[in-house]
Amino acid sequence: MHWDEAKKQAKAKRRPLLLLILASAGPGIIAELAGNDAGGISTFSIAGANYGLTMLWTVPVALIFLMVVQEIAARLGAKTGKGFAALIRENYGIRLTTFAMLALAIANSGTTLSEFAGIAAGMELFGVNKYIAVPLAGLAVWALLMGGSYRRTQRIFLIISLVFLVYVVAAFVSRPNWGEVALHTIVPTALPNAGFISLVIAMIGTTVAPWMIFFGQSNVVEKGSTVKDLFFLRADVFIGAVVACLVVWFIMITTGTVLYERGIVVDDAAAAAQALEPTVGPAAEYLFGAGLVGASFLAACVLPLTTSYAICEAFGWERGADATWNEAPAYKGIITGIIVISCIIVLLPQIDLMYVMLTAQVVNGILLPILLIFLVLTANNRNVMGANRNGRLSNVLSCITIGAIIGLTLALFVFQILGY
Amino acid sequence: MPYLSQMLSRPVIDADGVEIGKINDLAIQTGEVFPRITAVAFKGPSKTPFMVSWRKYVSEYDGNRVVLNTASHNIRFSYLQPDELLLARDLLNKQIVDTQGLKVVRVNDLKISQSGKQLRLLGAEVGVLGILRSLVPWLERLVEAFCKLVGHPLKENIIAWNYMELVDRDLSSLKLSMTHKRLHELHPADVADILEQLKPQQRAKVFEHLDAQQAAETMSELDDEYQTDLIDDMSESEASELLASMDPDDAADIIGDLPYEKAEQLLWLMGVQDSRRIRALLGYREKSAGGIMTTDFVAVSEETSVADTIEKLRAESEGFEQVSYIYTVNSHGALTGALSMRSLVLASPETRVHELAERDLITAGPDEDQEDVADTIAKYGFLALPIVDENKKLLGIVTVDDALEVMEEEHSEDLQIAGAATGNRDEEQRGIGSLLRWFLRRMMWFVLWAVLVILLVMAGGFETFIGALALAPFVLLLAENSVSVAVSDLLDYGGPSTGQALGRLFGRTAVLAVAVAVLGIILSLALGAALDVNTEALLADVAAGQEQAASGQVLTLNLITEFKNACLPAVAAACFVLFFSLVVTLYGRRRLDRNKELSNTSMTFVVMLLALAVQFGLTYLVQILNMA
Repeated sequence: MHWDEAKKQAKAKRRPLLLLILASAGPGIIAELAGNDAGGISTFSIAGANYGLTMLWTVPVALIFLMVVQEIAARLGAKTGKGFAALIRENYGIRLTTFAMLALAIANSGTTLSEFAGIAAGMELFGVNKYIAVPLAGLAVWALLMGGSYRRTQRIFLIISLVFLVYVVAAFVSRPNWGEVALHTIVPTALPNAGFISLVIAMIGTTVAPWMIFFGQSNVVEKGSTVKDLFFLRADVFIGAVVACLVVWFIMITTGTVLYERGIVVDDAAAAAQALEPTVGPAAEYLFGAGLVGASFLAACVLPLTTSYAICEAFGWERGADATWNEAPAYKGIITGIIVISCIIVLLPQIDLMYVMLTAQVVNGILLPILLIFLVLTANNRNVMGANRNGRLSNVLSCITIGAIIGLTLALFVFQILGY
Repeated sequence: MPYLSQMLSRPVIDADGVEIGKINDLAIQTGEVFPRITAVAFKGPSKTPFMVSWRKYVSEYDGNRVVLNTASHNIRFSYLQPDELLLARDLLNKQIVDTQGLKVVRVNDLKISQSGKQLRLLGAEVGVLGILRSLVPWLERLVEAFCKLVGHPLKENIIAWNYMELVDRDLSSLKLSMTHKRLHELHPADVADILEQLKPQQRAKVFEHLDAQQAAETMSELDDEYQTDLIDDMSESEASELLASMDPDDAADIIGDLPYEKAEQLLWLMGVQDSRRIRALLGYREKSAGGIMTTDFVAVSEETSVADTIEKLRAESEGFEQVSYIYTVNSHGALTGALSMRSLVLASPETRVHELAERDLITAGPDEDQEDVADTIAKYGFLALPIVDENKKLLGIVTVDDALEVMEEEHSEDLQIAGAATGNRDEEQRGIGSLLRWFLRRMMWFVLWAVLVILLVMAGGFETFIGALALAPFVLLLAENSVSVAVSDLLDYGGPSTGQALGRLFGRTAVLAVAVAVLGIILSLALGAALDVNTEALLADVAAGQEQAASGQVLTLNLITEFKNACLPAVAAACFVLFFSLVVTLYGRRRLDRNKELSNTSMTFVVMLLALAVQFGLTYLVQILNMA
């Protein structure tokens, strides 16, 4: 930039605090929004359709869990300048690291697969054949992750995230009873049947996924944020959590208002979208379809990226969006492999997708408690964290959160084994 | 040969044969090339770690256990000395800089050599074998055997202690052996390469360890983005000190990239002289002679004697980038001549410098393009070129190494726009990957077309779009050619665009577009005529009751209709392609004005996709309209 121009612009550069906060927002929002993926949207749609507004109270609970976990991850990243995978490797040795990375790779590949399935289902609402939609989506994801700088990729992620706005529109289109919505959001209701309870467990238990911790922390590290920036990092994490939970809230309001009252029972997001059409009009179907495709696409980008980054970091291999194939063959190879394999499996006609996704969920369920315990132990480690160790409040909060998530995950396991 | 991973958790036995704990860690003496193991740390039954001296108490290590030479109650525990490190705590699983291979790697295992009871650290294992060994030993043997069988034996990748620099721990407080290759002994360009591999926080931490001069030189070698990041991480006084000790042209580059207020603050904090030299360079445009020149030159008045000049050189030019010529100026400060060091040294001390000076000088103005200045230097074989203002006042010099940098930069920029390799030697490897990339780049139109055919066959739209598919290669080839024309235009492009040049470009494109449109219309008229002829023939065949001939006619009729339907959309797409190439030119110029990168391949790809979208979209539209 020319020096004199810079002088002229200098006055404009004094930005107010609010703008600074908004400017630093980004990584946290992406990490937490990407959690509302194909599987998530299905769960939320089913929850709304089958139980109306009665499950809305799980949203604030999930919000708190999300905030607590992601705040710790951001703090670890800012203090150590290392990703979560590196911290596990350095503090717990190679065996546990290898186990964690293997589990992460399996779980994330399975989840990526479900994202491509989500894209296929969503595009079919628009009349696009899955044999076109999936390869094209795979190619787009791959091109996005292979080419270009970290900053540009992140900007594109943020733009894709805008697709979640459609759920807000859909919620208003369905004209809910806002008084009832407010009531159910604040006052918890429980119905004494196994289906309801297992759905509540699924709603809260799947709020935090293992990859989110890795993704959130590595974003902080890549940005080069330090403890000085902790205020803005927290703001980013909290704003992201609120935004992500608002999306969940709006999805449940829509399906809870339209489908529940007409007694329509659905079993996935695409079915919910189709069921919306006759009552609210074609707009709702397309809005829900677009939301499903966008959300799945975002998660399909984030998952391979996070997996490869974590594995390469743990084993000390070169990584990063800017590296070339010759510099970072493992990094690029893992990303490519995950995308190709999940695209192919989704398109295979004989594969039972439900079984694959269930496996991913089980592996996630085993991995999550271990990671959460690592997370809290590391956050309490004086050698690693120094003055930014967990305080008493955050220790109480994180212990409750982690205890609850672990309990819920185990409960979900039992329910799945019992077959609910 | 023992490895740390194999030694950890082995039992420690005292002289009475009682197990008193399990090995937890080993301490090394850092001041040696192959550091001795000085102490062993072990965990007793109560989980408390103890450390005992290896030399005093260990009687033997047989690969399975450590045997002490005395009973446990006679042992005196020792503590970690300031110049000792713990292998498992400080090295294993940690990131280190390999100062020989110039890479950042993670330690998977540590190799130890044994002679008698004496153990020494050989180095850190950073390869895959180390990972496997620490995981499960038999897996390592299995993989090793398998790789040998296949004919690609896996080699150990060991980094010796004296080529290690720790990232997390500052070694500068430790006493190291003479041959220990520390980061700050490397060439600044190599240090910069290593720093760029690290994460931002670690980068800042390692950078702190460099001494002032090394830091300044490394800073100038770093890429722009890392420079500003590092400056941001430093305190203001540190940053200004660092910038002041750099060459003023490099410092000005960095300061020019900083926000105005920060830059002012840094300039204000440094000495008046330094800040004046940097400020003098700040006013110039980035890619001009003024932007790359340095103010480190020696100028004397014409009447100075050779002896005084040499005296002045001694006093002033220490720390200058290079001094190849001495410039003479008259009483108004205007440049009058230059003399080489050689003539200065050979002349007798009393000679006046103007007698030696070359008066017919080639100079450049500060606003001249950097590429032109570099060309001039290359053409005349100068070591430096003086930069003067309109009053011939000497502002600075551009030295030959800066000129070389410019040429390299501009060269790689051109290559990159043209879609060749980015000038990076490492990437010129011949493998299936690069061959594939080459193929994709050169035959992009074919690949796109093939993908399109496959997709349409799968989606069942092949017959609907058969005409469009047949015409698509022409559209794609036109796209490829018009982008390459646009790119060759960009390669010649020097500075900010002028309206006139754009007008010419626009005119050329418009003429081409009209030509394409006329050709297309003629073609579709001809097809229309053929359609009429065939319809008549069909009617005649039907009338004559020749069913077989009639069905053949129907097929031809359908094909011609398809082509006729596809024709106008293809022409439209071709015209769009021309329009897109215009946009590419404009966009490319804007990118070049802002010094951003351009890629031929991606521009071609985008234009081709847009062209296909237009062509197939319009074809589809025409078909819907025909049906309705």
